[in-house]
Amino acid sequence: MGGTLRAVNRVLLALTGLLLLALGLSVLVGGFDLPRRWNFSMPADWPWTAPQDVLLSDADRTQGRSESWWWPVVLAVLGVLVILLLWWLLAQLRRRRLGEVLVESGDGEGALLRGRALENVLEAEAAALPGVDKAAVRLAGRRSSPQAVVSLLLKPHAAPGPVLSRLTDEALEHARGSVALEQLPAEVQLRTAKHRPERVI
Amino acid sequence: MSDERTQQMPTLEKESTTGGGGNDLEQATSAAAYDPGGPREAGGRAGRFWSLRRVPAGIVALLLLAAAGLLLYDVAAVRAGEPAMAWRRTLADELATTAVNDTKILAAASLVTLLGVWLISLAVTPGKRGLLQMRREHAVVRAGLERSAAGLVLRDRAMQVSGVQSVRVAVGRRKVRAHARAHFRDLHEVRGDLDSALGDGIRQLGLARQPGLSVHVRRPKKG
Repeated sequence: MGGTLRAVNRVLLALTGLLLLALGLSVLVGGFDLPRRWNFSMPADWPWTAPQDVLLSDADRTQGRSESWWWPVVLAVLGVLVILLLWWLLAQLRRRRLGEVLVESGDGEGALLRGRALENVLEAEAAALPGVDKAAVRLAGRRSSPQAVVSLLLKPHAAPGPVLSRLTDEALEHARGSVALEQLPAEVQLRTAKHRPERVI
Repeated sequence: MSDERTQQMPTLEKESTTGGGGNDLEQATSAAAYDPGGPREAGGRAGRFWSLRRVPAGIVALLLLAAAGLLLYDVAAVRAGEPAMAWRRTLADELATTAVNDTKILAAASLVTLLGVWLISLAVTPGKRGLLQMRREHAVVRAGLERSAAGLVLRDRAMQVSGVQSVRVAVGRRKVRAHARAHFRDLHEVRGDLDSALGDGIRQLGLARQPGLSVHVRRPKKG
């Protein structure tokens, strides 16, 4: 359920983190004059080795300008970067929802079921379970192998363990059977609405 | 089946303690509440929920996009014969004149380093600490219970123990701590009843790893 986005997000966050960490540390090494104090040397063309070095000298900044390929390459790199970042940002905002589920009849024929219909049935059956106040179901995955993301709001005095057992054995099992799937993977989250403590005696 | 049987226990016990007034035998039954519930694991180990990290990824993407987009726009504008924006000149001047041992630069570099460490830790830790993983009964069904929900369920349980005036239940990832105020009955009896009621309650949460339980009972403050 969102496995690809999770991996992409985590890899890109780690990459950004590593770049920032490397940048920060190398400036700190130069700023505190560590190569001289601790007697080690940085690579020959390392920009920040002594405290008097500047972050980005005019010479360094403009060194590529004389080349004819410099500006096209800068523009192309920035353009690609902008497109990739835009895609990454939009991927966070988009929530994948399965439009339809493929129901196999077993003899090579198949039918398409609207995803929303299956979601509604699952929601209704889950919400009717004792101890459940509200249920929200979203289908994800592919239409031949859908996955359900279930969010349950429990009533006060509900027992989460038994509620989950009944959800698995009844609502999810019925849905799996009705669309003739081998299995219907599900991710369930249980919450409770905040309520005041009530005294019994 | 076993769930229904355990569900009955606290009410039975409550009736007997309120009727009989509680003796050593009652204490013994409450101590037995620490027995782990019958294991019904059929679906294998319940792993942590790994957060998608939507929010940090979105923020980082937005900031980087703004920076790259602005730079792209300005570079393109300059190529097209427009004058560069003022910030680019100032930034280039600052970068070319400020030494790396400047206090501002050192502070910024420390901040950047910390930010890097933070982003890396976001990338490698699971997150979703508010979600307790539940026992897996089916291989394909993963479930999580919010810690706040577990706290509310246990609080409702504890409020049913007679003598308890108010109770605060804090559910940690490994341990449940209950602080109760009892305005009547012997404190030890109340503690015993709370032990068993909350022990039952914890089992009924259906968690993959049973958290420990500590119960404190005090008299309400006078005044």
